[in-house]
Amino acid sequence: MPGLFTVDFTTALIFGAVTAGIPLLLAGLGEQISEKAGVLNIGIEGMMLFGAYTGFLVAFKTDSIWLGFLGGAGGGMLVALLMAIFCVWLGMNQIVIGIALTLGAEGLTALLHHFQFSRTYPRLGAIDSLPLPVISDIPVFGRALFDRHPLVYLSILLVFAMAWLFRNTYVGLNLQAAGDKPAALDAAGVDVYLTRSCAVLATGALAGIGGAYLANVGAGLFLPFMTNGAGFIGLVLAMLARGHPVWVLFGAALFGASLALTTALQVAGLNIPTDVVQMLPFAMVMLVLVIFARHSYLPPALGLPYVRGER
Amino acid sequence: MIKLKALGALTLGALIGLAATAQAEEIKSIAIMVPEQGTDFGWNQQGVDAARIVAEKFGLEFLPAEGLGYGDVRQTLRELAEEGAGLIIAHAGGYNAAAQEIAAETGTPVAIVDRPDDMKAGLVADYTLSGREGAYLAGRLAVKMSKTGTIGIVVSGEPPSWNSQSAAFAMGAKATNPDIGIVYAVIGPAAYADAAGGRRVTESVISAGADVIFGQGNGSSFGMIQAVETTKAVNGEKAWFIDVIGDKSELDKGNLLSSVLWDMVPVFSAMVEDIKADTFGTRGYQISLADDSVRLLKTPHIPDDIWDDLMQLRGDIIAGTVTVDEINDAQQVRALMSSVEAAE
Repeated sequence: MPGLFTVDFTTALIFGAVTAGIPLLLAGLGEQISEKAGVLNIGIEGMMLFGAYTGFLVAFKTDSIWLGFLGGAGGGMLVALLMAIFCVWLGMNQIVIGIALTLGAEGLTALLHHFQFSRTYPRLGAIDSLPLPVISDIPVFGRALFDRHPLVYLSILLVFAMAWLFRNTYVGLNLQAAGDKPAALDAAGVDVYLTRSCAVLATGALAGIGGAYLANVGAGLFLPFMTNGAGFIGLVLAMLARGHPVWVLFGAALFGASLALTTALQVAGLNIPTDVVQMLPFAMVMLVLVIFARHSYLPPALGLPYVRGER
Repeated sequence: MIKLKALGALTLGALIGLAATAQAEEIKSIAIMVPEQGTDFGWNQQGVDAARIVAEKFGLEFLPAEGLGYGDVRQTLRELAEEGAGLIIAHAGGYNAAAQEIAAETGTPVAIVDRPDDMKAGLVADYTLSGREGAYLAGRLAVKMSKTGTIGIVVSGEPPSWNSQSAAFAMGAKATNPDIGIVYAVIGPAAYADAAGGRRVTESVISAGADVIFGQGNGSSFGMIQAVETTKAVNGEKAWFIDVIGDKSELDKGNLLSSVLWDMVPVFSAMVEDIKADTFGTRGYQISLADDSVRLLKTPHIPDDIWDDLMQLRGDIIAGTVTVDEINDAQQVRALMSSVEAAE
């Protein structure tokens, strides 16, 4: 279709890629904090979904998108608190509890949605953006990248803030030690349970905000099961990133761009099976996995409960 | 000896007749299984509502099982069979294999979707529903309402029902204006609940020039509607949305142009009647314009002259002077879209 790739269309594609990538970025960064501290947070999908629900509920009731994000963080942390209690304090299997929390969040949010919204399907209006001076006027990329909701900029800044935190602060060192040698951290007088619990709660907060962004900005409404595996993709990104937040950003951008590319290829009328086109984002992630995962670093104590005094 | 044989044949005939009567008496309840809640203003709700109406119509107990998701539903099927369901309607393509298995295991008749080749007399019937005749009308409506000369189709997957409607919509549009541009996009392999994906893809399709969107999505339709409500067409005017299966009029904020409505009551009624007549599983079930089980939703946004034209076309389709080919294969749908674009 000649003339299809107009400024409007290309802008919409890049805009959509960023919108799709932000929830993955936040989930991936959150998961990275947990994994660094030695907790494999399979429940991140549930945290994201519950955050999407509470985020939408608060935004809808208060008419404030920022309170909605706060609500999303709270919802994610609520699920994360259960993860911390069962896995960090009670030492239960992290994979089993993670799956249970995800299934529980799916069921609970579907039930709550049924009673609250299933007859009316309320939708939020268009979200205000914050255009950055000068650069938002750049053709195509300007509007798509620099005329966004402030949470997009904050999410990007968070990547670098986390990289600094991991590398230059005691908090970062404590997290690393909780995942590498929790006994050594304990011997140094730092509470391993508290460190891991805080990490899990931080994961819940970020995943919850990611879910709230998906519901409030990405869709403008909440639907049961709407995260559609985004939390698990965030988990994969975190594993691929080998402890580097910037790599999570790269992975989320790659996935978002691949999603946009699938739309572009279809709209362009490419006569190949849609299934092949739709595989693209997942194939990209698998390709990256094959290339880089062999060298991926996982904390030695990842997934293992810490019991004081036990060798 | 001949008398004995005749007597035997008569006895056998009487037994078969008694068996048929006995089977008819066994239909005391009807069950339906749906992957999402029956409140989605679409596939799930239309199915549950229709099954409820049919249960009341025939005086049957109604056994709905909603929000089952897309996973393994064998246990639910067994429980419904144990509860004595005389017919289980497995209202999702993902339930087909499990439903057939449990039907064979328990002897309970099941209705499955999109698998006409898997029918088994007395046990498994298929209802591959398609509102393609209505979609053909929707294609004409879209062209009549479009000001940009480009219309869009957004789907959450490519099951046969969606495919036949996408193809019919394109054919109806092309028959009205051979120069119309048609943009086609799939959100994901099974993105039925992906509202964010629905919104993202629809925004892209609108940005590609489409100002009327024909959306087929279940839950993801709400994301499409959100996109239509918040995104202007490239000419700066409002974009329109044409929905399928259900009636979302009460949720409309001014962009719902129409919907290809499906009424499953005649289909489910026919299933019950076939069980009573012991002919279940010997034929498939369809919906059509002729009995109003497929119709186009009239909204205040459709001008009267355009509506009159659509009703004229509807009459032609029912009379058989206009035929709407059934295209269920995804690849053929894509090829049709490409050829539509190539003809520009």
